Amino acid sequence: MRMAKSDISIRIGPVVFQTPVFLASGICGYGEEYSPLIDAGKLGGIVTKTITLRPRMGNPPPRIRELPTGALNSIGLENVGLDVYLEDKLPRLAKRNVDVIVSIAAERAAEFDEIARALAGAGGFKGVELNLSCPNIDEEALDHGRDPAFVEKITRIVKDRLPDRAVLVKITPNVTDIGEVAKAAEAGGADGISAINTVVGIDFDLDTGKPFFYKGSGGYSGPGVLPIALQKVWEVAKAVSISVVGIGGISSVDDARKFFIAGASAVQVGTSLWQNPELPGEIVSAFTEHPEWMKKGPY
Amino acid sequence: MSRQLLVNTARPGRFTAAVVKNVDLSRRYFLLVLERPSGFAEPEPGMFIHLLPPAPGRFFLRRPLSILDSDDSTMSLIVVEKGAGTQCLRRVAAGDKLDFIGPLGNSFPHLPGERILAVGGGVGLAPLFYYRSKWSSKPGGTASGEYRLLYGARTQDDLFLDRFDWRPDDALFATDDGSHGFGGNVVELAAREIERAGADVLFSCGPSPMLEAAAKLARAKGIPHYVSLENRMGCGMGACRSCVVLVRDGEIEIYKTVCNDGPVFDADDLVWDKLPKG
Repeated sequence: MRMAKSDISIRIGPVVFQTPVFLASGICGYGEEYSPLIDAGKLGGIVTKTITLRPRMGNPPPRIRELPTGALNSIGLENVGLDVYLEDKLPRLAKRNVDVIVSIAAERAAEFDEIARALAGAGGFKGVELNLSCPNIDEEALDHGRDPAFVEKITRIVKDRLPDRAVLVKITPNVTDIGEVAKAAEAGGADGISAINTVVGIDFDLDTGKPFFYKGSGGYSGPGVLPIALQKVWEVAKAVSISVVGIGGISSVDDARKFFIAGASAVQVGTSLWQNPELPGEIVSAFTEHPEWMKKGPY
Repeated sequence: MSRQLLVNTARPGRFTAAVVKNVDLSRRYFLLVLERPSGFAEPEPGMFIHLLPPAPGRFFLRRPLSILDSDDSTMSLIVVEKGAGTQCLRRVAAGDKLDFIGPLGNSFPHLPGERILAVGGGVGLAPLFYYRSKWSSKPGGTASGEYRLLYGARTQDDLFLDRFDWRPDDALFATDDGSHGFGGNVVELAAREIERAGADVLFSCGPSPMLEAAAKLARAKGIPHYVSLENRMGCGMGACRSCVVLVRDGEIEIYKTVCNDGPVFDADDLVWDKLPKG
């Protein structure tokens, strides 16, 4: 006899998602690009590529450096900007029946407010993720993401505009005490913490002696960052009582399980899609068979 | 000739397929023949597959490899040993399974009736060779004689003369050391051919200095030029934007992905001095 399919839906703040498995921001573009390979309608949703108020060209190439355990990237938040996103990108996903979390970034509070206000007037998405932690933009903007007072203020501005959406705050691992930043987001009204963004790293060209990337440093992602991400999620989960979304280095079902043990209630899969675009679906199937894997450890 | 819209049409999938054979072509080059899985869409010349070197934990990125030939049951690729990833591919044997995504990217425009001069070097042979076998074997295809394939290498050793069906009546060779065919580089040979027999359009694929020289030649002669580029890629699907090149779009310059907007571009659109060297 076949067992009834188990319910692995989760709630983040005011919003229910059908599964706890999402595609991480950046890797899956605006959601359409991977559609021949990934049926995102079966996932919790897609966190789309970070958008800013105005379009951004991104960093000059080269933008990627292979490592045995992942990659360094220096994309630099290239994006189409808020207007094109709302007019063109978001409606396409709505037609595909994919749940969307909109990733946004800005340098100033007023810009966050303007983006949130525009989003409040638009439909077709269930949540937002504040990218306060991309290492590939100006150092000043990244510093903002390390400042608890700024994080709290921005979170409150966005949550006030979007009370009925899930508001996630994606924070950087490149801080001394990640718990402090997570607490600030919670104090600002966040429904969840997404952790982690990429780990700052650098590589050098042996012929020129210069950094490999135009901007110098890049962001490290892929299987190699898994223990760092688990550590940070474990710290965040102890620091806050809101949802934690685990991100970083997931390349198997077992990796995903470890984030739940550490205290996450959902996961996002990123860089490993390049090798295995079927992985998010595999994690959903495994957790549907074993909903007990969504429990926090120790068992 | 009006400018052709370059679009990709085939729907990609992820496949695992067995190696049929792996043949040494020269000291650095080898030919990989794979089973063509059912469900693998009909590739167009210029398209590539994104192949994972079969050494888990050693390589993270897939390698984009342009399709050299494809029929109902097999698909072949020409690979040059460049780094550890392609070294790993050189060691695969018949029966080994390889993981790839494809077919990906756009293709060279199909231009029946045009006199096409195709200029290739190194593994850049693949899409140009495939164009000829695909379109000149079909009704309505570019008839033999209108598609001339010009291939250059350092020495005769890297021409693979007895490996492929070159149909010598419309294939011409250049070697730097003059050991076979035209003595000099393949773009100089192309210039001579344009003077001798004319051409309506130029295709090129190969090392970047060759592509640049071909672009200069096409501009000087006022001939449209389509060029296929190489770059390191992340996703291969147009999502991650790792493999971008700078392209003119009217008055402004924008980044386009080699994997999905390309690999074939109108040479007039490219910002040549900002292209990756390789």
